[in-house]
Amino acid sequence: MRNWIRRRRAEREATCAEVAQVLQSYLDGHVDDLTARRVSRHLEHCRRCGLEAETYQAIKDALARRGREVDAQTLERLRAFGTRLAEEGRAGEADSPA
Amino acid sequence: MPEIDVLLRVARTLVPRPADAEDLVQDTLIRAYRSIESFDGSHPRAWLLTIMRNAQINRTRRRRPELLDDPDAALEQSDEQDEHRHSPEAVVVGASFDAVVVDALDALPDRFRQVVELIDVDGLTYAEAAEAIGAPVGTVMSRLHRARTRIRNRLAAAGLAPRSGTR
Repeated sequence: MRNWIRRRRAEREATCAEVAQVLQSYLDGHVDDLTARRVSRHLEHCRRCGLEAETYQAIKDALARRGREVDAQTLERLRAFGTRLAEEGRAGEADSPA
Repeated sequence: MPEIDVLLRVARTLVPRPADAEDLVQDTLIRAYRSIESFDGSHPRAWLLTIMRNAQINRTRRRRPELLDDPDAALEQSDEQDEHRHSPEAVVVGASFDAVVVDALDALPDRFRQVVELIDVDGLTYAEAAEAIGAPVGTVMSRLHRARTRIRNRLAAAGLAPRSGTR
């Protein structure tokens, strides 16, 4: 019974202050499962925290859309450079006395 | 070398000039091959990001030996400048959400902008971003959250997000 009460308390919904504290980490997927469940239950009905979560998620989405395009030629040069380094390394090993 | 594209993206975040970013990745690869025997095979991305960070520190030292400014103070100072530069009246009317986000990102002090770019643009985890800049994960989180809050406040000033405390 005592364990059940303790579990129920731990599972209780997060407060607005608690959500404000962890909201960004929650949206980044960097909170534990229990915290995620408590925050998620709160966001289901709290308008203010829900708007806040939507705003931060929209910021993250806008930044992700900005996704940096890497220059294909630069990438190709670097891959060739890496391959050359690996080959030189292997050749060096073969040349070195056992 | 499946991580080369990640290294290039991160290098582009850490150094402004594309040519310098390419040099930094080359430097990182040379150092990685030199020390490959000491690598235990786990978390190759984190290992490469640590090497890149050290390579970048050496390059910065060679070019700019003076002490770096306190990044937190930089954000406070930038906050003050920002209040004047980006009052609601100064925000372009009708600016799109994405444009205000990008504008606010570009206005952040470098160390805060870098963390946002590493995580939200380049897709690194908190731990990987910490490796890339050589700071504790707690520092990464603090800078990231403060930076995003700043972006959020700029959106609110532009009428594109609710003001804090709105019910």
